[in-house]
Amino acid sequence: MNVIKKFSVGAWITLVAAVMALVSVIVYTVNIGSAGYFQNAAVSNLTVFCVLAVAALVAAIVLGQAKLSGPAATAVALVQGALQIAAPVLLTLCLANLVAARAEGLGFIYFSNADVILEVQTPANLASATGTIANMACLAVAMVIGIAGTFCTLRKKEQ
Amino acid sequence: MRAKSFAPVMRGVAAVMACVLVLAIVGAGVADTFRTRIDDALHTQSYVTNTDPDSARFKSDYATIDEMIAAAKALAIREGEEGTVIMKNDNGALPLAEGGSVALFGLAAYAPYPYTAGDLKAGNEDAVDLLQALTDAGLKVNETVRDFYLEKVLNKHTEEVPNRWTGELETQVAYDNIYVAAPGDMAQYQIVEVPPEKFGELGAPADWKSSIDKASTTGICVFARGAGEGNTYAPGSALDFAGNATGKDPLALSDDELAVIDAAKETCSKVVVLINSGNTMVLKDIAKGGGHEVDGIAYIGVINDYQCTGIARVLTGQVNATGALPDTYVADNASIPAVMNFGGGYYADYEIVARSDDPRYPGVEIGNETAGSFGGSNTYNGGHFVVEAEGIYVGYKYYETRYYDSIMNPGSKAGSAKGATQDSAWDYGKEVLYTFGHGLSYLDYTQTLKRVDVDKTPEGNVTAVVELKNNSSQDGSFLAQLYVQQPYTDYDRQNGVEKSAVMFLNSAKVQVPAGGSVEVTITVPAKYLASYDYTNAKTYILDAGDYLFTAAPGAHAAVNNFLAHQGKTAADGMDAEANGAVVSWNVNALDTDTFSVENGVKVTNVAETADLNYWTGTNTVTYLSRHDWEGTYPINYNTDVEIKLADSPKKDEWIAELRGETYTIQNNSPATEGGDKGVRFDTTNIQYEQLENVTDAFWDTLVSSITIDEAVGAVIHGGSRSDVLTNVENPIVIQNEGVSGFTATHEETGYRFNVHSQTLLASSFNPELAYEWGRVEGNSGLWLQRYHLWGTGLTQRRTPYNGRNYEYISEDPMLSNRMGYGILQGCADMGILNGPKHMGFNDQEHNRGGVSAYMNEQKFRETDLRCFQGGLEDADGMAVMIAFNRIGATNASHHVGMLQKILRDEWGYTGLISTDMMNNKYYFNAESMVMAGITQVADFGGDDNHITLGKGGVDATWAYISPATVENDSALVEQARQNLKYQLYTYANSAIMNVSTERVDTWWDVALRNAKYVSGALCAATAAAWVILTVIPDKKKEEV
Repeated sequence: MNVIKKFSVGAWITLVAAVMALVSVIVYTVNIGSAGYFQNAAVSNLTVFCVLAVAALVAAIVLGQAKLSGPAATAVALVQGALQIAAPVLLTLCLANLVAARAEGLGFIYFSNADVILEVQTPANLASATGTIANMACLAVAMVIGIAGTFCTLRKKEQ
Repeated sequence: MRAKSFAPVMRGVAAVMACVLVLAIVGAGVADTFRTRIDDALHTQSYVTNTDPDSARFKSDYATIDEMIAAAKALAIREGEEGTVIMKNDNGALPLAEGGSVALFGLAAYAPYPYTAGDLKAGNEDAVDLLQALTDAGLKVNETVRDFYLEKVLNKHTEEVPNRWTGELETQVAYDNIYVAAPGDMAQYQIVEVPPEKFGELGAPADWKSSIDKASTTGICVFARGAGEGNTYAPGSALDFAGNATGKDPLALSDDELAVIDAAKETCSKVVVLINSGNTMVLKDIAKGGGHEVDGIAYIGVINDYQCTGIARVLTGQVNATGALPDTYVADNASIPAVMNFGGGYYADYEIVARSDDPRYPGVEIGNETAGSFGGSNTYNGGHFVVEAEGIYVGYKYYETRYYDSIMNPGSKAGSAKGATQDSAWDYGKEVLYTFGHGLSYLDYTQTLKRVDVDKTPEGNVTAVVELKNNSSQDGSFLAQLYVQQPYTDYDRQNGVEKSAVMFLNSAKVQVPAGGSVEVTITVPAKYLASYDYTNAKTYILDAGDYLFTAAPGAHAAVNNFLAHQGKTAADGMDAEANGAVVSWNVNALDTDTFSVENGVKVTNVAETADLNYWTGTNTVTYLSRHDWEGTYPINYNTDVEIKLADSPKKDEWIAELRGETYTIQNNSPATEGGDKGVRFDTTNIQYEQLENVTDAFWDTLVSSITIDEAVGAVIHGGSRSDVLTNVENPIVIQNEGVSGFTATHEETGYRFNVHSQTLLASSFNPELAYEWGRVEGNSGLWLQRYHLWGTGLTQRRTPYNGRNYEYISEDPMLSNRMGYGILQGCADMGILNGPKHMGFNDQEHNRGGVSAYMNEQKFRETDLRCFQGGLEDADGMAVMIAFNRIGATNASHHVGMLQKILRDEWGYTGLISTDMMNNKYYFNAESMVMAGITQVADFGGDDNHITLGKGGVDATWAYISPATVENDSALVEQARQNLKYQLYTYANSAIMNVSTERVDTWWDVALRNAKYVSGALCAATAAAWVILTVIPDKKKEEV
């Protein structure tokens, strides 16, 4: 509990980013595992990058709580900062790849011509499309929050 | 300390910049993928037209006309090499030994079909005939027999004959005795072959027999059958040399021909017969066990200027024999189920269609009799019909499936007497002489299917790897053929879905070194595994079960592989043991979804009216089904039952259709008149976006400028050349025949490029050769400056009797499909419109201009249309000519289901659609053709794109049409404009415009690139600042 009390706003922001990234992975996994247009439509490296981003954010928070001095403190500060930068970059990669992979499919589901729209817009396909959009939203939020976290220190200044 | 506090800010900015950098890098790639759509959305332009002549989009592969000519000749010779099929080869008859002696018998040996130049044959000065080719190949031709045939029997000379079309006298090659080149339309066919008993009368030397050294001489007998447009063989119509009716099949060898063979057998140690015909012949007498059995039989098709060189190279073994039969050869054509309904006949009360009060033609007595093939009397020509009750079982699909069922499914009554011609019970071994895909190789080899991958998606492929092993001591080329067996399930039995026990998919040729092996990959769209269920799902389905694939030298070997895989042996009735590899691919549940949407369009029934049962309201027609070969074997619906129009519950609708009233001009919706919209058909207006996208707004703007008069007029008077439209200023495009290549003569050299043989290309079984021919054909167009030709035929060879089978590829839809793909893609890659003939069941010439072909929708989609699908959907085919006949009661050129629903919507075809010859205004209905999507009606006129050129300012052909009668039918006028849009779009994408485009940067390309550079630089700078600020020592150490 003492450690948590020392969390700065930045640490909490970073934690929220990590949680959102984790939610993204879950939404993604559920989405491609459920019946519908995007079933089994895996996006290359998305899960790996997302998990790495979560790990980076959590590691940054942990390192940010270390009370060190001298060269060790500097080294830890550099590693922690690098992790904070890496995490939103990974999440950005995930988001860009997801959008690229899903654009055609979403267009097909929502903008097919009237002749086939009823065939295409099955409940399963619409649920699948909604899941993908939710996945994109989660990733975008995680990315923005992750970026916000990089502007902050992760431990409260001691009085 | 103050500086140190900036470290998190620098870190944050570095993170932002890193993310922007990632977005810029990934985004640039994504944007490039969706470039066209982004351009549409942002109104930007990524491509500009390059009008520099050196940057033409389509440039010839050849630097000089001499290179072009050499390429055409080389291709024609390859057709002979790859297309010659060794059907029978016993006693070492073939290959002929180098320097060996031969004696040539038969008129066609010295004047192969066709012997006159024209559409079918180029007739260039350096053409090589069979005699010359065999001599060039090093064979010694018996001079006594040669001189007798050339000088006494044939006596080549010239005659003045009237041109079929113009009536002008032309000088043509003629002979004293020659086979009949045109069989006529269901007429008696005289088989002109001089029997040996006449040799003496004609002046043969008395010692001609002794002039042949029997021990060292091979007799080569060549027999031809003529063919031609408007021609149809009639079963039982043969006349002999003396002109006496024999009652025999005109496609069977006559007694005179058999006598020639006997003379050759008497005087030569071995005899080889060459079949010089585009129509499959009946060879029972000379095949194994026949009364006049010969040592060898080879198919040489219909030959052109140079193919004989290639044929001779095969006969002498200079190249390995790799050709295969594109059709099944049977012991008796009467065993073919399609022949049960061939030619057609009248409805019992066809006269009730006739009328004298048709409001479109006041005062005109319009009958309903058949008309001549080239038009003539005032008639709707809707009195004749034929029922294609055989369904999908055309050619080998019938014989091989019945053979398979005779072993696997005895309950299907495959062995019943129905359809048997050789015995009291049906027996494959007696009915079939040589099956589809059969062709002997000189060099011993094996083909083994190694693996198959099926991508079960609408755009997916079947990818098969076949190992070809050359077991001989010579290098050589070999043919691999891929076959599939789809599961035939209870669902199919219940819903009338038919499946052939074996289906050809595709083939490939490859060179294999002596003793070596090579793996060749064969691909074919996976959609062709699906079957059309017209009764229940009403779409394409994939049945649950095992799909079996194999590689085999012919359909029969393939079906035996399947039987062996399923545990059958000779003890079960197989006629040969088989051990060819079979690869299984399983579908675990009936799939009615994957192939039910094509090109974004729902695939469902569009041709229910093609079924005679639709009109009679009862199950009048029983379609051939493998669940009961005996009970469903076709009867003749013209003679065995009486079909009366008046008995139909849809009598009025049926009669209206037979009168061509598919569409009636409306009078309640004013059309918008055209006018100058400030755009033109030119390179200023037509840029990359317009070339890429027929839905680009430019095209609608362009065609909206066409006046009502010209919009309708240009479609219904499409002619043999396009006309210049006011406000559009499009180029004139001249159409060219023909099926052997451009018939136009190259002005400088006098060379003619129609040197191709459709029949030998077909029997090459080599889609790559088809592509190469298409490319040569396209190149010749560039040299001739002709850009549009009717340059191939893809209609299914439903029976052997069709007089135009020489223009078509095969009895098999998929061989036609793959060959069509190659030819059309080759031409398209050179920017040439090559329109295949005649889509929509033009499978008999007899009464082609009106006969109703009735069928169910599975046949409709899986037979003739599939022949065209490869070239028009899978390849970039740019033109097509529609069948002359009716589909059901509907003129094929009025058929909205075929042209709009399938061709345009399902296949996504954006090219030109032409009718065949418009020779009967009562049969071809102008407004119905417009509404069906026809872009040009072939009326052979020029500068006649108006509906005001007749007396009183009405249309010159359809007098009830004028600007006043169509101006209140906006749907008709707009459809005409849409049809012209496709035609203009196709011209723009062809060598007619021949402009290239080049990529330029849009503002968003620049923005993305700059974002990449700026964000990269800022990322590096702020990251460096963050590191420095973190590392530098401070007076008071802070915690991070």
